[in-house]
Amino acid sequence: EAGVLELGSYPGPRMLSPERLALPDYEYLAQRHVLTYMEDAVCQLLENKEDISQYGVARFFTEYFNSVCQGTHILFREFSFIQATPHNRASFLRAFWKCFRTVGKNGDLLTMREYHCLLQLLCPDFPLELTQKAARIVLMDDAMDCLMSFSDFLFAFQIQFYYSEFLESVAAIYQDLLAGKNPNTVIVPTSSSGQHRQRPPLGEASLLEGVEASLFSQCLENLCDRHKYSCPPPALVKEVLSNVQRLTFYGFLVALSKHHGINQALGALPDKGDLMHDPAMDEELERLL
Amino acid sequence: MIPGKYRSVSGRAANNVNCGLHLVIQTSSLPEKSKVEFKLNKETPSFSGRLLQHDLERNYSSRQGDHIHLASSSMPSFPILQRSSEEKILYSDRLTLERQKLTVCPIIDGEEHLRLLNFQHNFITRIQNISNLQRLIFLDLYDNQIEEISGLSTLRSLRVLLLGKNRIKRISNLENLKSLDVLDLHGNQITKIENVSHLCDLRVLNLARNLLSHVDNLSGLDSLTELNLRHNQITFVRDVDNLPCLQRLFLSFNNISTFESVCCLADSSSLSDITFDGNPIAQESWYKHTILQNMMQLRQLDMKRVTEEERRIASVVAKKEEEKKRESHKQSLLKEKKRLTINNVARKWDLQQNRIPNIAPNQDRKVSDSPQDPSQLHGSTVSAFPEETGSLDSGLNNTLQGLSVTDTHLVEVDGDTLSLYGSGALESLDRNWSVQTAGMVTTVSFTFIEFDEIVQVLPKLKIKFPNSLHLKFKETNLVMLQQFNALAQLRRVDQLTIDPQGNPVVNFTLWKYYVLFRLSHFSMQKINGTEVTQNDMIMAERLFGILAHVASSELPQYRLISILGDVRKKQFRYLLETKGKKPGLVNEENSDSKRLVGENTNRATLNYTTRDFYNERLEEIKEKKKFCKMYMEDLVKEATEINMKNEALQKLWPQMFIELVRDAVIEIRNKNSYMKLCLQQITDQK
Repeated sequence: EAGVLELGSYPGPRMLSPERLALPDYEYLAQRHVLTYMEDAVCQLLENKEDISQYGVARFFTEYFNSVCQGTHILFREFSFIQATPHNRASFLRAFWKCFRTVGKNGDLLTMREYHCLLQLLCPDFPLELTQKAARIVLMDDAMDCLMSFSDFLFAFQIQFYYSEFLESVAAIYQDLLAGKNPNTVIVPTSSSGQHRQRPPLGEASLLEGVEASLFSQCLENLCDRHKYSCPPPALVKEVLSNVQRLTFYGFLVALSKHHGINQALGALPDKGDLMHDPAMDEELERLL
Repeated sequence: MIPGKYRSVSGRAANNVNCGLHLVIQTSSLPEKSKVEFKLNKETPSFSGRLLQHDLERNYSSRQGDHIHLASSSMPSFPILQRSSEEKILYSDRLTLERQKLTVCPIIDGEEHLRLLNFQHNFITRIQNISNLQRLIFLDLYDNQIEEISGLSTLRSLRVLLLGKNRIKRISNLENLKSLDVLDLHGNQITKIENVSHLCDLRVLNLARNLLSHVDNLSGLDSLTELNLRHNQITFVRDVDNLPCLQRLFLSFNNISTFESVCCLADSSSLSDITFDGNPIAQESWYKHTILQNMMQLRQLDMKRVTEEERRIASVVAKKEEEKKRESHKQSLLKEKKRLTINNVARKWDLQQNRIPNIAPNQDRKVSDSPQDPSQLHGSTVSAFPEETGSLDSGLNNTLQGLSVTDTHLVEVDGDTLSLYGSGALESLDRNWSVQTAGMVTTVSFTFIEFDEIVQVLPKLKIKFPNSLHLKFKETNLVMLQQFNALAQLRRVDQLTIDPQGNPVVNFTLWKYYVLFRLSHFSMQKINGTEVTQNDMIMAERLFGILAHVASSELPQYRLISILGDVRKKQFRYLLETKGKKPGLVNEENSDSKRLVGENTNRATLNYTTRDFYNERLEEIKEKKKFCKMYMEDLVKEATEINMKNEALQKLWPQMFIELVRDAVIEIRNKNSYMKLCLQQITDQK
């Protein structure tokens, strides 16, 4: 959960801990995304001046940060905000699960477009691209009009959405490995690289499908070390890759999406087995009916 | 004095031979009386024609007892006819050779005064040997076997020519018979009326029981009073209006089925008597009044007098028919125009949607040819469509009414349905609709219009057409469930029809349930024609109930208020635009807003902003975001400065503290000097 900076409070002993003092101020704030929330709060305040002024600014801030803690701050917000912090992303995933778990429970299989529609109910400008990428993971890049189950889609979507930047880099690395390039060269992924690239045509080097797992694992380890943005726990990634000799890109993603450990580390969604259970909401539903 | 029983030999014609012939053409044969007896001179072996004497002697008596000598003639095959001189004196001007089993016309010698010649009921195949009878007025060849009209060219005085019941195929060789008064050609095989234009004295023409299929070529018959065309195969009649004297026209038992095929009759001012019985037209329901209406001069129809009452009814009915025809013509024109416009709108829509245009070249041309000015469409027969609703309302009825038709859109009110085609049609909602018209509209249909554009006029729709309960959408680009949120602002929707064509949202499994969920406050009856069941409603709630819960109770209060505020603001934008800012408006807003939020509040936050507005909003927020960022940066800077100072103080404080203590201790080391110093300080202070 995001750490909340309490301005103006008494600097207690935690504030003086060595790790804390070791980080320059801005970095600390950035790591915890404090500024993002502060800016957004002030922006929201400005947006709704007339309404909020009715009941006080202090109450507003309380509500705002409470909702951030509870994960309800992302409801019906624009995509740029939802994507802004890992906590936002996780909250969004959880909200999506909460709201549409009933659809999954009902057993309906939906198309990618329909899932996208549901996403848009919560976030009007959610990009189709992301949903498409998530669908590709489920459908292994095949027959994009196929129906998908709620749980399959949700877990794939989780990986795609939460770790989007990570996956971009992974895709780039994979392409390079396929092409036989030196894995240790630094790859800077651009926004349109990676997953948009077509798979290279089958040549001599790829008589076997995919890439060698151990080599791939090494590259990913480097990647995780190098970059700031959130990536799955490296240990778990290594675990995924240690089980196989070779694997394809989508095979890798599918493995990620199905890994319990990674799901738990993320902390947004319950285990697959418990996906359809939400007693609190079920109670609410019974009350409505 | 001719004895009575002989007087009638030549029919009534005999009595009228001196004055203008008033004939009633009878097809019955004349009474069989013959005063003539033939005798064949058997001593002349060169005769090849034979007469059956024994028959003659059996059937006929001869009062005169004269013998007719048939002498040999220069023409070997023809008998020569001679009458006794007494007969010649008695009946000098008439000769009856009825039922004489003649196969040829005999040579009639020495009878140059003959005025009446009767060859009825014989077997004559050719008209011959009468060229010398140049005084002939009456020639009767009824019931023979004549195949061709010929041999008459010298009979310039001929007035009555009876050729009924023969085998004549063509009307010909009548050129010299300019005095002809009666021409009877009934019962022949004539297929065409021809070669009669010179008969300017002809008063009666009988062509019944022939093979005529049509009637024309009647010019020149300036005296014709009666024309009998019964029992033919006539399908149409022409040129009758060229007959200035025609009074009686008999068309019974032909093949006439429409009035148009005999429409020239209407232009004949002389006609007073007409028959159509036995024609298909006589079976029609509109037969009598159509004829009467078009032929006001008629006195008798089908041999029955035409009464005033009948005439009156006919005119009334005809007027109604005219009205109906005009109306339907107008309707079909409107329909055609509508069809063209819809095609045009559809084409534009397809282009807009970047679909591949699939138009055949001639269709393309047809559409592009439709001119800008609607009144020019279809030539000058179309009157300009009225744009003002005032004039329309006065003629309002339940039939189809095209109100505004241009090339780019179409608005149409048809009783209870308002149909809008093309985005231009949305502007029509601004018009001043009469309360009656608008009140009758229960269904509104949108086609070829972007849903996002429709959303913006929904407030107008709500106000102008308060009874619209059924909405239909076709080719409106409904692509996401969210768009249905926009319909929540309407007062009430009973039925919703989303045509799959052009509305991809229908392909979603859950769309109906979402609609039922979001618009639960409408208690919808039907979606796409199917009844909504209780189970459907329950399923809808089950699927999306939690979404509603989350959207209301889990939203922070300020978000709730801000979202609902947006909704309120949007809905009142229209009112603000029309009413302008008035002092009392604020109160109105508040009271109305309470009513608006009267719908199921837990889903009221689920609304729809069109893509354009959304992006606009985001653009607007950008400025604020920038400011916030700067503001926060300043705050952070301040905070970090303070923090730094704090930290710095923390670091320095122990040292500072020690120094403070040390300074204090040094100061009071010498008690006396310290006391003096303090006192000094106090006095200095004063």
